Amino acid sequence: MMKPGDLTKQNGEWLSATGPKHEIVISSRVRLARNLASFPFVSKASQPQRSELHRLCRDRLLALPGNLNLFYVDLDHTEDVDRQILVERHLISKQHTSGEGSRGVAISADEALSVMVNEEDHLRMQVLRSGMRLRECWKTADMLDNMLQEHLDYAFSERFGYLTACPTNVGTGLRVSVMMHLPALKLTGEIEKVFRAAKDTHLAIRGLFGEGTEAIGDFYQISNQTTLGRTEEEILNEFSDSIIPRILTAELTARSILEQERPLALDDRIGRAIGVLRNARLLSTEETLYFLSHLRLGVVMGRVTGLDIDTINKLFLQTQPAHLQRVLGRTLDGEARKAARADFMRQQLQARPP
Amino acid sequence: MKKCDRCNKPATVHLTEIDNGIPTELHLCDQCAGETGYIQQAHIPLNEVLNQLLQAQSRSAKADGLRCEECGMTWQEFKDTGLLGCMKDYDIFAAQLQGVIESAQQGATRHTGKCKESPTDPNAAVKLRQAELNRLRKDLARAVQRESYEEAAKLRDQIKVLESSPGTD
Ligand SMILES: [Zn+2]
Ligand SMILES: [Zn+2]
Repeated sequence: MMKPGDLTKQNGEWLSATGPKHEIVISSRVRLARNLASFPFVSKASQPQRSELHRLCRDRLLALPGNLNLFYVDLDHTEDVDRQILVERHLISKQHTSGEGSRGVAISADEALSVMVNEEDHLRMQVLRSGMRLRECWKTADMLDNMLQEHLDYAFSERFGYLTACPTNVGTGLRVSVMMHLPALKLTGEIEKVFRAAKDTHLAIRGLFGEGTEAIGDFYQISNQTTLGRTEEEILNEFSDSIIPRILTAELTARSILEQERPLALDDRIGRAIGVLRNARLLSTEETLYFLSHLRLGVVMGRVTGLDIDTINKLFLQTQPAHLQRVLGRTLDGEARKAARADFMRQQLQARPP
Repeated sequence: MKKCDRCNKPATVHLTEIDNGIPTELHLCDQCAGETGYIQQAHIPLNEVLNQLLQAQSRSAKADGLRCEECGMTWQEFKDTGLLGCMKDYDIFAAQLQGVIESAQQGATRHTGKCKESPTDPNAAVKLRQAELNRLRKDLARAVQRESYEEAAKLRDQIKVLESSPGTD
């Protein structure tokens, strides 16, 4: 059976740079929250109830058809660094790593599918794919949900739909998130406008890397804020047909403006990024994200040759703290980690000279 | 705990600003982060939205003494954690939750999506059709407003077909 550490050797479906519009739309994600009717929600479940819930859900997940290729990680018996790897790969939430007691996650070998057990809700299913593929993600999640529903008695009410621990998830239990790389909107200062528009359409936008609300590296995650009163179809359509295409067009416009009106400033940014990443001896996570973002922009816009998006995507992941430690095979702190990150980066970028 | 760089309150937002490659650490409280534009209103995590709603709710929603027999949840505990304890809480605290759900869900009060029963369940089919009709009617209203009469005619046909199919209310 696979272990979390084994994952560091691969890129994960969502970072594979294969999906439509993957140059800007890094990934599409669909998440469904479900609870079992015969147990209290997780926060009010006793330890024996949690263990029983865990066993029940795990057995159900592992009994799913073999072609889903699921392996299971019992998080209560997993090392910190391996749990952290799962967070960095977006397979579990931070909350799930720091949680306590009986809990776990089922993951498909290609990492497109993952199901957290005993997080805030009994079940949190996620389908995560490269590029703009929300509908495809939904189809998979819907199918998985139907398969589980045949054997598990979900908490459901006529009026409020699928009942969740937090009322902000009630109804469809559906959260769709699209992760976008928007460096040009940031450079041209237009990003605020995009956010203001988003506010009116009830979206949640948050920076992807780093804690809380910052957006280091120009990665933004755009999600629906409401889960009740609209069908799954309506939520998906709004994202696929309206919200995401609008932001995508704005980013493309900003890129062509940079290209036509400020080519020097653009190449300066990209050149500085290459300069730092190829030569630095100490690199923090934040700096790495910041400069990799500009390098990625350069690669996507064809202003840097000899590097492909796949490599850059891999670097975003492998320079994260837990990945770095697993890839290098040793525990690293503070300065030593920054030095190791810089060494790794130089080696990766010099192996492919422009 | 780090203090806010601007006003000395406890900092809740920790940022690393990078200006031309030189990282500077910034620590701000929620309020200052909002004022300095580091946080847009639209970025507030969902549980915080809920939190604000819960704090704004006056004590007048008489829930004192109300307690779920199944899981022991009280309204005060829900206000503190933002999490309900079991599915029965949706009934027990129905009166108090109504306003919270309505504001957290932009006015929505009723589920219209996928149903627990298998998709072939007649009930589910009716709901799906109803949702589809609602969507078409909204599109129609918008088409008329835009004076796109050709599109409106098409939508009217689709609505007619759906309405005449059996099982619609
Ligand atoms: Zn302050
Ligand atoms: Zn209860």
